[in-house]
Amino acid sequence: MANLLDRAVESFKRVGEGLKTVFMHSFREPTTQEYPEKIQDLAPHFRGRLALAVNPDTGDHLCISCRQCERVCPDKCIEITAHKSPETNKLELIDFKIDHGLCMFCGLCTEVCPTTCIINTNDFEMADYSRESLIYDIKRLTLTQDESTYYFDKKELPRPKPKAAAKPAAAAGAAGAAAKSAAAGGDAAAKAAAAKAAAAKAAAAKAAAAKAAAAKTDDGETKAEPKAESKSEEKAAEPKADAEAAKKDVVEAKTEDITAEPKADAEAAKKDVVEAKTEDKAAEAPEKDAKKDVKEAKADEKDPE
Amino acid sequence: MSTEIKSTELKTDEMIINMGPQHPATHGVLRMLLTLDGEFVKHAEPVIGHLHRAQEWQGQNRTWFQYQALIDRVDYLSGMFTSWAMARSCEVLDECEVPERAEYLRVMVSEMNRISSHLLWLGTYLIDLGAMFGFPFYPFREREKLLDLFEEIAGQRMMFNYIRIGGVQRAPNDAWLKRLKAFTEEFEDRVDEYEAIVTENPIFLKRTKEIGILPLSLAKQYGVTGPSIRASGTDMDLRKTKPYSVYPKLEFDVHWLDKPEGGDTWDRYILRIREMRESNKIIKQCLDMLPTEGELSGKKQNAGLRVKAGEAFSSVESPRGILGCYVISDGKDKAIRFRWRNPSFCNLSVLSELLVGSPIADIMAIFGSVDVILPDVDR
Amino acid sequence: MNAAEIYKLSRLAIFWLSVTFGAVWVACWGVGVFIPSLITGKMPFLLQVDNPSTTVVFIADLLRSLTPILSLLVFIPINAMFMVLFERRSLALFTVRMGPNRHGFDGLAQTAADAVKLLFKEDITPRGADAFMFTLAPIIFFAPSIFGALPLLAAVTNNHDLFKVANLPTGIFYILAAASIPVVALVMAGWASNNKYSLVGGLRSAAQAISYEIPLVLSLVTMCLLAGTLDVVEIVEQQKGGILNWNILGGGALSGYDKLAPYWLNLVDTSFDTSAMFGQFYPVPWLSSIMAFVLVICTVLLFGLYLTGACAEINRIPFDLPEAESELVSGYNTEYSGIKFAIFFLAEFTNLFVVSSIATVMFLGGGDNPIPKWILDRLPLEPISNALGSLLSPLIKDLMFIDPATFWAAFWVIVKVYSIVFFAILVRGTLPRFRIDQLMDFGWKRLIPLALILFVVVVFARTWVVCHG
Ligand code: SF4
Ligand code: SF4
Repeated sequence: MANLLDRAVESFKRVGEGLKTVFMHSFREPTTQEYPEKIQDLAPHFRGRLALAVNPDTGDHLCISCRQCERVCPDKCIEITAHKSPETNKLELIDFKIDHGLCMFCGLCTEVCPTTCIINTNDFEMADYSRESLIYDIKRLTLTQDESTYYFDKKELPRPKPKAAAKPAAAAGAAGAAAKSAAAGGDAAAKAAAAKAAAAKAAAAKAAAAKAAAAKTDDGETKAEPKAESKSEEKAAEPKADAEAAKKDVVEAKTEDITAEPKADAEAAKKDVVEAKTEDKAAEAPEKDAKKDVKEAKADEKDPE
Repeated sequence: MSTEIKSTELKTDEMIINMGPQHPATHGVLRMLLTLDGEFVKHAEPVIGHLHRAQEWQGQNRTWFQYQALIDRVDYLSGMFTSWAMARSCEVLDECEVPERAEYLRVMVSEMNRISSHLLWLGTYLIDLGAMFGFPFYPFREREKLLDLFEEIAGQRMMFNYIRIGGVQRAPNDAWLKRLKAFTEEFEDRVDEYEAIVTENPIFLKRTKEIGILPLSLAKQYGVTGPSIRASGTDMDLRKTKPYSVYPKLEFDVHWLDKPEGGDTWDRYILRIREMRESNKIIKQCLDMLPTEGELSGKKQNAGLRVKAGEAFSSVESPRGILGCYVISDGKDKAIRFRWRNPSFCNLSVLSELLVGSPIADIMAIFGSVDVILPDVDR
Repeated sequence: MNAAEIYKLSRLAIFWLSVTFGAVWVACWGVGVFIPSLITGKMPFLLQVDNPSTTVVFIADLLRSLTPILSLLVFIPINAMFMVLFERRSLALFTVRMGPNRHGFDGLAQTAADAVKLLFKEDITPRGADAFMFTLAPIIFFAPSIFGALPLLAAVTNNHDLFKVANLPTGIFYILAAASIPVVALVMAGWASNNKYSLVGGLRSAAQAISYEIPLVLSLVTMCLLAGTLDVVEIVEQQKGGILNWNILGGGALSGYDKLAPYWLNLVDTSFDTSAMFGQFYPVPWLSSIMAFVLVICTVLLFGLYLTGACAEINRIPFDLPEAESELVSGYNTEYSGIKFAIFFLAEFTNLFVVSSIATVMFLGGGDNPIPKWILDRLPLEPISNALGSLLSPLIKDLMFIDPATFWAAFWVIVKVYSIVFFAILVRGTLPRFRIDQLMDFGWKRLIPLALILFVVVVFARTWVVCHG
């Protein structure tokens, strides 16, 4: 009987201790995050959506069509289309497709790439309505110069050397391919619109920026429209003016090269595309900054609560 | 009217119940064919294979470099150990030296992985026992911190691909080490909290004491390993009995219970709790002893990774027991044969004996306590 | 310090409770006071009739008599909505999360959204199920929590005129009878579902309810013995005057101390001879004092016993075996979906509320203020109550608003009931569940003997002390 009482008292004590421990937890700060509003700053090496970087300094596409990534991929989800340009005898990248529905994000492709062209971004919000839309083509894969800079800095990757003679041809090739796929992809325009809507939310800033960048060559003017305000405001304060000028120079040089090319099919179209690209690129940085500001302002607002 | 009642005894029918593969408490897709006599199990048969992904076959059809990235999926709660087992077999074949820094990092991340695996087990085990709404969140909170650390060093939260043949993939930076240090410091307190809620809780004691008793002989027959067998009276832990890597340089205890007549589910629970504390100690030591400079890998990591011809078997002590990898290589880009020795498979097989005679309500308590993870069983 | 989340939770509670009581008040006042007065021409400022016809008077009476049930019909769904949210948010607090905070203003509308979602779900009747029983089960499960709670209404509203009719001289007996009906529904649900897990769940719930009803009833019977009545209104009436009079502290064994405390503490006329009065309450001073404290211990234990039994009765953790998710895949409600599931869900929370209200009425003094009267009298509350009174008196007089006494009674009941609910949630967040045979063991071998022992001790002890009864 005494034993029973002892045990009962002991049990009560234990249960009480447990209840107290659980109750005291209610005075701790929550450890969870309110996801779409607050996105955790992901680690630089996080293996998210794959993307193709451009040279952060010059804006050249880094891929040299060596197909190493295609070969190493365990899931065979990379498909590269390239051809040997008859003039320069160099490989020209025509299209680059990654099926993110197949990809297991092992990052092997990024490890073998000799030019650090293919990289894992921090974007993980890639849900989509169909399997087909998970197949990213070169347009959706290629990062803008600023994004490339961001990832190169974040991952502490060595800056690639600017390309020498082969540069113009490759760039033109890439642009040409981009123009082609732009003409083909009707849904890409829809995507861009969706990206714009998402961009209105500061929460989705990063992902939207990536998507908007992918849809860049489509239609420079409509894209620029809704953000005109923030752009112009930020531009005034942007100390990057000289860099911009420099970039423009480079592209002008490029376009000259193109005109000098003997193979003169659809020259004008290409030129347009490239110009549109430069315009948008220049506008990209301040736009991103503005978004960041909005995000911070939001965070400030929330704090006093 | 020739019928006569032969026996006056009341006969009851047996009932066959399919527990799983979609039962909420089978942790994946285990199907358990139970023959019940009333509430008691007369016969139990785990039906496995619902999650078979041909992991061994895939190993023979992928290059070494590619397969490394895949094997984390064999036991997704302790991917570091599968990588490590494979890396060790290949290193034996290849006679390549693993740099000391890499060894320390391997031990560090593996022990982190052991903690995270045990934490998940702890949370889900309490869910099995019915404490569904409060407690399980606490271990998951700590596990989340570890996963964040993994994410930073390996690139992903569960599919690490961090331990490579010859070394490791990436060196941690100072901020990472600092975060890990902070974690190890607060972790002891957290375990104390878990224990305050669970260990001596009268209902928990009632649910776990004296059930699922696994005698040593039976455990040996079935090849049970890990904390499950250490609760039954043997101190078999590869880290001590067959030391590998830098474990001989580290100070830690292997907890076991001298109970050859058999440990019950509570014993298996308490051993895991103690093991977490030990692992925490090991991580602390590793943090102090980790060389700040040095090679990370004794072998070049690229698509042309080759392993010399020959065959080798080596094993590591995973959170669930002995995890072994047997490999035959002919020196070409792909292995000829891979064979895994998975602890979960053996731990699961013993269930068919362990469950007999226990009421339905104990099935989950016993099943949870041997810590089986289904992809590890089916591969 | 997690001030933000705690603040949010309390804000949410205040909002929901105001909504609940606002709705109940509007319904009761409208149907019970306004319309009857209007049609019989008794409403001030409005159409006055001297001799209303008998039909009109009859209708007015009918409306008045319908008020109690109407108030419950309004109260229970809204309150259950809040309770679900309260439970989820509190569990989130315990588990260092945030809990549902998306729908509506900071999660206010979460349960409403869930309810709407459930309404639109497909209502599935499994093949081979007994469709009639399958449909009937949730209704039978839910109904007792409405009509069973009726007698409590008068007790928790300070015996308000409108709710007097719902009172019964054998109130507690009636409530217990009603509370044992839901188990039939659970067996029905388990049987009709044509699912082995459901069947086991249903049978388990029957076994469990039968076993745990005994300690539950024994503890309440003991309390009735101390109170000397089965009438809940009277039980609440007896406990008035502060915490020392409450049943949880000896069922009135301490009310002598309560009465004498002001004299001993020199708060009133010191020339008064207290020993005579002491003798009135405690006939054999030393023995009676000891017995008074024995009674206090007994009643505290009985309270614990009641809570345990009630937890088992309504299938809360650690006694949630009939729906043990990890064993029986939700047991008796495995096969239920849509609105039927919603009713089960609603009823579970309503049951929790009802058993907490019974505990409040039987043990915690109903709507009584916990501060002893002699302290309350000395607090400078008069100006405040005067001001409030002058503010409200025209409303009370002219529009026949509910008087402040009723309001405060309801207020304290809610505070007490939600304290018990909060404790139940805390238990839910901590304890694992029993095994079925251990549950039976615990019920039959521990709780029932304990209840019987307490019963005997109380019977013995109360012969030496003047209790409420
Ligand atoms: S991450 Fe892995 S699976 Fe995905 S594309 Fe690269 S190599 Fe292929
Ligand atoms: S992305 Fe890299 S690895 Fe792949 S083809 Fe281009 S340069 Fe080669």
